[in-house]
Amino acid sequence: MRLYEFEGKELFNRLKIPIPNGRLAESPAEVGKIANEWNKPLVLKAQVLTGGRGKAGGVKVVNNPDDAQAVATELFALKIKGFPVERLLVEPRLSIQKEMYVGITIDRVNYKVVVIASSKGGVDIEDVAAKTPEKIFRKSYDIDEEFYDFDAIELAKQIGLPSQYVKEASRIVMALFSLFKKYDAKMVEINPLVLTAEDTLIAADSRISLDDDALFRHPDLAEMGIEKRHEEGEMTPREQQAKEWGIPYLDLDGNIGMFPGGAGFGIMGNDFIHYYGGTPANFMDSGGGPSPERLARMLVLLDENPNVKAIFGARFGGISRCDDFAKGVIMFLKEHGLTKPMVTRMTGNVWQEGVRLFEEAKKENPELFAHFEFHGIETPIEEIAKRAVELASEQEGGK
Amino acid sequence: MAIMVDKNSRIMVQGITGRAGAFHAKRMIEYGTNIVGGTSPGKGGQTVEGRPVFDTVNECVRETGADISVIFLPAAFVKEAAIAGIRAGLKTVVVIPEHIPIHDMLLVRKEAVAHGCTVIGGNTAGIITPGEANLGIMPDIAFKPGRVGTVSRSGSITYYIANTLTDAGYGETTCVGLGGDPILGSTFDEILAKFEADEKTKAVVLTGEIGGVYEERACEQISHMSTPVIAMIGGIFAPPGKRMGHAGAIVEGKMGTAKEKLDALAEAGAHPAKTFLDIPNILKKLGV
Repeated sequence: MRLYEFEGKELFNRLKIPIPNGRLAESPAEVGKIANEWNKPLVLKAQVLTGGRGKAGGVKVVNNPDDAQAVATELFALKIKGFPVERLLVEPRLSIQKEMYVGITIDRVNYKVVVIASSKGGVDIEDVAAKTPEKIFRKSYDIDEEFYDFDAIELAKQIGLPSQYVKEASRIVMALFSLFKKYDAKMVEINPLVLTAEDTLIAADSRISLDDDALFRHPDLAEMGIEKRHEEGEMTPREQQAKEWGIPYLDLDGNIGMFPGGAGFGIMGNDFIHYYGGTPANFMDSGGGPSPERLARMLVLLDENPNVKAIFGARFGGISRCDDFAKGVIMFLKEHGLTKPMVTRMTGNVWQEGVRLFEEAKKENPELFAHFEFHGIETPIEEIAKRAVELASEQEGGK
Repeated sequence: MAIMVDKNSRIMVQGITGRAGAFHAKRMIEYGTNIVGGTSPGKGGQTVEGRPVFDTVNECVRETGADISVIFLPAAFVKEAAIAGIRAGLKTVVVIPEHIPIHDMLLVRKEAVAHGCTVIGGNTAGIITPGEANLGIMPDIAFKPGRVGTVSRSGSITYYIANTLTDAGYGETTCVGLGGDPILGSTFDEILAKFEADEKTKAVVLTGEIGGVYEERACEQISHMSTPVIAMIGGIFAPPGKRMGHAGAIVEGKMGTAKEKLDALAEAGAHPAKTFLDIPNILKKLGV
């Protein structure tokens, strides 16, 4: 999960990596106040959880402090890749002598930690690596291997720093390596690392991505307000609701509500819908052995989503039995009611029992089953996907 | 024959006195899996399902001759448990829990390679050799002894594919769940090499997923295999930047998309399948 720039910089500060003396602002008026107080050229930086901020106009230099509030108003109105700007980081403008890049990441294929540095910062490191590989420092380490000072000094030399800066640069790189290890990072980047006109080194930007699965051992991050979040962007209200219920859920752009089994089929099922010409409205994962209550809540999320025109359901009864699946669906039908057409299929552990429960409940109250088609093992899952696409397009056509 | 586990394997359960450990130990035993014991520090001397419980993996290995372990412990304890198993000389360690911290798995992998141990998972449904042994949490109902091997990141996909193979009369030699976590103990190419060496396995179905990085490693292996490989990839239509369920299933900027992965696998000689129903058709064409 990605951190905001200001969060990353706070971690830099903790590890004694020098950062600009910035302040966070939540309104143009606040920015105006800071500009008045400082009375010097500023840089205003939109805080969003996505890349490409600079290209989208999310960073503005303000040479005259009197203009700060007006520029801030424009920035707060901006949407960057669809994400609203809710906070600006206000920093004094740096006078730049040289911009460099330092990053540490994980090479998942080879199970290594990789330290990368380049004499060119502020740009896409991939481009530099492709065009001028000799300008890149790159070295791999085992996770429990020490990162030595002599390696850090070599790195500083390689990215073209003159001798008088080499010790300070190596101190910063060593601190970045410690931060990577200490906070279970997937990636940490200083881009750019700036050599200022005043001959100091400073981290002008931060990009940090942490391992959500290791957050449990970093309670200090929770105190900073850093909690499990998306890799990119904030959650939608429905995703927030699902999170509260403990259901892995994502909103997508389509109109078919996906009510699958586990994560693997959740992903594959979305492909199947596309193969038959439909588009899923969401991704969802039931988790192993979901309770009837959980299944009912999954359906509530879909039935109450106005984008959903039809619902596709699948259950492969493993440890979790198909009769439990049927109980969850029936609980939803009785307590909430189904307003969208839905087609489901059950196979695996006691699927016949699931079908029997549906048939019984239908006999008792056919009204509840008005929009609901259920199938067992005799219908391939591909047919169910096809049917869901049909139902959704009937709904769209009927409007 | 089969790969990795069969009726003669001697299997222990780490965390055997826990709720999940005890529940699944019972299921595995009912299937006929040769469970010889388990560990739970502080509970040495007890028994679960008639199997002895030890305080340490070393003791369990010494007393029971265990050569494979299945871990049922919370993610935070997996690093310790897996390394204890690896250093005790186990051949295979299967990590069922999900969300293992990435830095922990890097260390586990390093230990495994150094000691010649195969680690499977985390977030795997396990390994099953139908009719002989079922390690983990897979439902027996989908599987029948036969001649096709499978390796997949996901449990639910493994069930659908095995079910398809079983219904079409092919059955399975061994089904391996590689796991859904972002960093895994083993890679596709390593499992494919085991299938290639197994005489009874006449074809392999490999299922990758967006966010995986081991499909690329599989290409090299597939290009010099004589056993045919059928490949599926989940997440062809997944939007970039969104994390779908499996901790690993996210398209990062520099990483290959699902479509690119499938194309690369096909170029290496794998036979691409779109849906489950394609699989028996391809096998038929291949004369398997």
